[in-house]
Formats: sequence, structure tokens, C-alpha cells
Amino acid sequence: MRIERLLMQRVEGEAELQLLWKDGIVEDARISIPTSRGIEKVLIGRPYMDALVIVPRVCGICGHAHLMACVQALEDILGVVPTKKARLVRTITQSLEVLQNHIKWFYLFLMPEVAQADIYRPYRGKRWIDAIEVSSRITRAIALLSGQWPHASYAVPGGITSSPKPSDIVDLGLTLDLVKGFFQESVIEDIRKFLEFCQSEGLMHKGKAYNRLLSGGNLFNGPGYYMDRVIHGRLKTYMVEEAEPPSYSLAYPVRYKGLPFETGPLSRLLLLPDPEVRHMHRKYGDSFGVRVLARVKEIGHLVGFLEGVIKELKDRLSEPSNSLKRPPKEVKGYGLGVVEAARGTLIHSITVEKGLIREYRIITPSQWNLGPRCEKHLGVAEKAMIGLDRSEYAKLVLRSFDLCSVCTTH
Amino acid sequence: MRVLWLQRLTCCGNTHSFLNYEYLSSLFSRVDYFFHPSLSIEGEEEAIGKVGDIDLLIVEGAVEREDKALKSLAEGSLFVMAVGSCAVYGNIPALNNPEVCGLQYRFKEKGGLLGEGFVSRGGLPVINLSGCPAHPSWIVGTITSLLEGIRPKLDQWGRPKDFYSSLTHWGCTRNEYFEWKVEAQELGSQKGCLFYHFGCRGPLSYSSCNITLWNGVSSKTRVGTPCFGCTEYDFPRVGLWETRQYAGLPAELPIGVSKRGYIMLSGVAKMFAPSRLKDED
Repeated sequence: MRIERLLMQRVEGEAELQLLWKDGIVEDARISIPTSRGIEKVLIGRPYMDALVIVPRVCGICGHAHLMACVQALEDILGVVPTKKARLVRTITQSLEVLQNHIKWFYLFLMPEVAQADIYRPYRGKRWIDAIEVSSRITRAIALLSGQWPHASYAVPGGITSSPKPSDIVDLGLTLDLVKGFFQESVIEDIRKFLEFCQSEGLMHKGKAYNRLLSGGNLFNGPGYYMDRVIHGRLKTYMVEEAEPPSYSLAYPVRYKGLPFETGPLSRLLLLPDPEVRHMHRKYGDSFGVRVLARVKEIGHLVGFLEGVIKELKDRLSEPSNSLKRPPKEVKGYGLGVVEAARGTLIHSITVEKGLIREYRIITPSQWNLGPRCEKHLGVAEKAMIGLDRSEYAKLVLRSFDLCSVCTTH
Repeated sequence: MRVLWLQRLTCCGNTHSFLNYEYLSSLFSRVDYFFHPSLSIEGEEEAIGKVGDIDLLIVEGAVEREDKALKSLAEGSLFVMAVGSCAVYGNIPALNNPEVCGLQYRFKEKGGLLGEGFVSRGGLPVINLSGCPAHPSWIVGTITSLLEGIRPKLDQWGRPKDFYSSLTHWGCTRNEYFEWKVEAQELGSQKGCLFYHFGCRGPLSYSSCNITLWNGVSSKTRVGTPCFGCTEYDFPRVGLWETRQYAGLPAELPIGVSKRGYIMLSGVAKMFAPSRLKDED
């Protein structure tokens, strides 16, 4: 029996992986994230509107999703419904954020591990540079609507602060064309290379977790979960609970009906459904290869979805951006926001009294996927690494969840 | 030039801001060595062993006072740059933790991890790129000027004057509303200045956000969001969307403006404001 400690490189933030080896097989795996910034505590006692500025700072790559979860929760408290135009614009920026995330993850974090060819090499490789350039065009498109990326606060209770122009719609369309071209010319070819790699390493069968998947469903898929080979079309958010963390972790485990679930692109594409992903999932289960395939295929789905939303927005540009003139001061209540971030379902819940935040709780997708064990069950990623026979595989499996330590502990 | 970018208590937002830079591949081809934990194949320890003398140490994220390893790296580096308000002032991670600070400041107090009198081997204090996050052009602009052998001139907070000598207000497309004291009455309106009711810090913060636009196209105030003053040490203030007022006057006036001058000018401005500014869209 021996314990191996591995520091993860090229992830969002820092994380340590501990593997317990027995007879050449991983018998136990622990993910520990050494730091926490205490963002929920910073929010307590502040006017509720401050949360719109502070929560995007949870994460540099998915801060927009945090803004959306926050504004939804505040609207829930205030009993305010955003204008249709605002809802469409929010959906666009939120989806674009997921899009840039997946491209960066695939080319910056995964492909350099998988393929040795020069085009994937950091800093110099053509595909690596192309991926960064396409991503920056996408974030530019977000900024057209939100002012900047990262860390915009343009979504406010009742709507948005911006007023997109027809020229912005044209610009968004051109950006999507560029992404579509990149997807068709480069990404599809690289998915093929990736699948070949999986076949040769046997990774289509490895890295399986509990085969329980869920999504809150606010982008292109509805809410639901997959469990015991059945898809359920509802998600009861009151059954989502945080458990006490073990001593090695600063992150809180999350459970649905007391059980660990995976969240993210695989859940979303299974619920959609994407026929190819559903087929692969039926054949291989929630394995490393299928998880990655779903993450990358989601790029294509998002492009198609965005084209539809942008078209819808085009006819609504003259509608008001906001249904609430000014945020009221004396506010009291409890609100919930559930959105889909790049890595899966993100939940914000807020209690406000006399206009000030009394409690703020954030459950991130990375808590679902990378959070540690509770008293009864291992964490999802922890479970997925057990039984592997090489530490390289363990690192790859961990990577397939798109590891973001900054969100896991926030 | 050998550049080492390290992360501490961070959301990685400055990294993603940096990745927005339009000519990143040119930058990478100009430096001899560039280490970044999210980008490089090797890990931090390996990179430190490999790089030898560091020409530029970039730190993203707030730091713990105990971080001796980082301190000794900084002392051996030719130049040290703090990228983003966490590394500069401590920012959000320092709010509830007295052991967390920036490289040379903790909010407005000088000191931080490296100490008040810290000067790098190259003869500069920590080059501070405040902002939550810092703009990609400020980051790459500072790296390339050092690469060209040009020393940035720094302000009293150690920030390059090239990027922090003008108010965020400069270049704001709502400037005319500000001049004529036409106030935005609601969020989401295309008209009116956000300084009076919505806490805009544009006239109280230094940055070039409205001159060198974000992602090349926009800024907070251009989409009707107030500036939250994220380049200043007091970010994030309590009440970010509110303008505190006393007797109908903003409690804090634009930098350098006297109370008397403000009252006189705003009275005249309001009286003569062109009606095109006041009419609703």
C-alpha cells in the first residue's frame, strides 16, 4: 500500500490529488483543494445589490453564470419578472461563456495531455493559438452585451442595464460563424483524434462514477436527472443538500436525495437528448471518453442554440431592458437561483432582511463533481478514479470533469 | 526575458482577462521563457528550478503573510508585478482574513507581504496593476515595455501612469449627462449619468477603461452599469449601487472638485441643460 500525492497542472486554480495504491490499482482517491476565499461570508450584512458585483468574482472563467444565478435569486425575492428581451440577452451571454470555457478547456487543459503533435503545444502550437483567439472573439461578443468579460455586472433585478443595437446582432452572428467554422474545421477532427486515443488506451471504459447525472436545465435542455437507467423530467431543488466535509477538504459535498450526482455537459446532452451521446452513454456508461465527448460536442449544440436565440432577440430590440425602475430598499425574503454554468448546475440561495444579506449560499457544479466524500458516499470524481491502474489515467479522469478549484471552495 | 506568472488566492480572472489580448501569440514569441500555471506543461516548482534568474515575476491573487517562498522569489527577481486588485491590495480574499494581503499593500496600508520599502533588483517597487480584473492591455503593455527596456513611471500606488493617470470617467459616453447634471432615473435606461443615484465611481477612480475599451468594444458605463471603482483600494465598498448623499449632494464629490464649485456649477448646468438630454428615449 502506498500513497501518491500529485499536484494538478493546468486547471482553474490549484488542487492536489492523493491516490492510495494497492497491488497496482487505485484503491482510494482524494481531491484536496488547499485554499478558500470565504466569499459567502464577505456578502453577509451588505445591501443585496452588492452581491451582483461580488459573486462574479467567485470564478474568473464562469463568473457570468454566478451573476445569473444571483440575479435570479434576487428576482425570486423581489417577485420581479425580467423583460423577455433581457432574458434573451442573458441567455446569450451565459451560453457564450460556456462556449469559450469548453474551447479553452479542450485545447489548453486536455489536448496537450492527449496528443503530442506540435499543433497542440502550449504557447506555439497553431491549434492552441487558434483556440485562444476564437475564445477571445467569443468573450468580445459577450462584452458587446455586458460591457466586459470577465466580471460584468450588467444583469440587475428586472432585466439588464444594456440596450443592444441591431449592429450588435450582426456582430454576434459573425462571431458565431467564426466559431462554427472553427468547430467544423478543427474541433471535429480533434474529437476524432481524441476518440482514437481513448480506444487505444481503453479509456472509453474507464473513469466511471455512479452513472447518476442531473441538470437544473435553464439553457437548451429542461431540468431532470438520470438514475438507474431512467430519465426523470423534474428536479426538486429542496432535495439538494450540502453535507459536512471530511478533514482533508475545504469543499462541501453536495447530495441530491442523499446521493452523489454528476452534473455538466454529459447530463445536459443526455437530457436534451443528443442521439450520439445517448448511444455512447448506453454503450460505455459515464466513462472518461463519454464525459469528454459530451463536453466537446456541446460546443456545436451551443452554436445552434445561440443562432435561434439571437434570431428571437432581433425582433425585440426596442422592448425595455428592465422591468424594475429602481431596486427597492426595504426588502425581506428568501430567493433561489438555479442556472447552468459550463461545468453544470449552479445554485445560489439568498436570505435578505431589511435590504441586507443575512445568508448567502452557493452550490457550485464543481462541488457536485469534485467535492469530497460524505459519511456514506465517495465524491463523484473520487469514485471515478478507483480501479485505475496508472496515475496518468487518474489525472486524465479528474481533468474530464473540467477541474475548477476556485469554484469548488469559493 | 524570462517571465514567471504565479497564482495565489485568486479567481483566475486576470488570467482570463490576459487571454483576451489580441496579439498574445506575438507576445509569447518575443519572450525567452513564459511560465503560467494554467498554460505551461511543467508545474510551478519545476518552472522555478528551470528558469534560473527571473526577469519578471507576475503574481495574481492575494497572498498570505506566511508565504516565504514567494517573498524570496520576489527578492531575487529583476521586476515584480502584481496583476489584479487581489495581488495589489488583498481585495475580497483579505476582507475577512487579517493574514491575507497584497504584495506591497493591504488595502490602503503600505506593507503587504514584501514590506513598505521593497524595491526589486531592477530598482522599482512592485508594479501594481490594480483592477478586478486588470485590463489585458495594461498587463501586456507593462510586460512589453519592460521587454523594450522602458521603465514604467509609477503613481503613488505603484501603478503605471500610462494606464492609471486619468479618471475612469474620461471617455465615458455619458459624460455630457454628467456635465449638464442630467441624472439616470432608472437602471437599464440609455440616458443619464449614473453618478448621482447609482454609485458610479467613474469620477473617483483612476483607470483607462473608457479609453482602451474592454474586449476592444465596451465598458461598464457604456452598457449602463456604474463603475464600481475596482482599481482603487476600497473596492468592494459597501453599497456598490448607491450614491451616499448629504443634503442633496453626493457625499464624495469628483476628485478635485470643491463643494462650493459643485453646487454653483450644477445649479447652472441643470438650469441650462439641453432638452435633448432630458427627453426620454
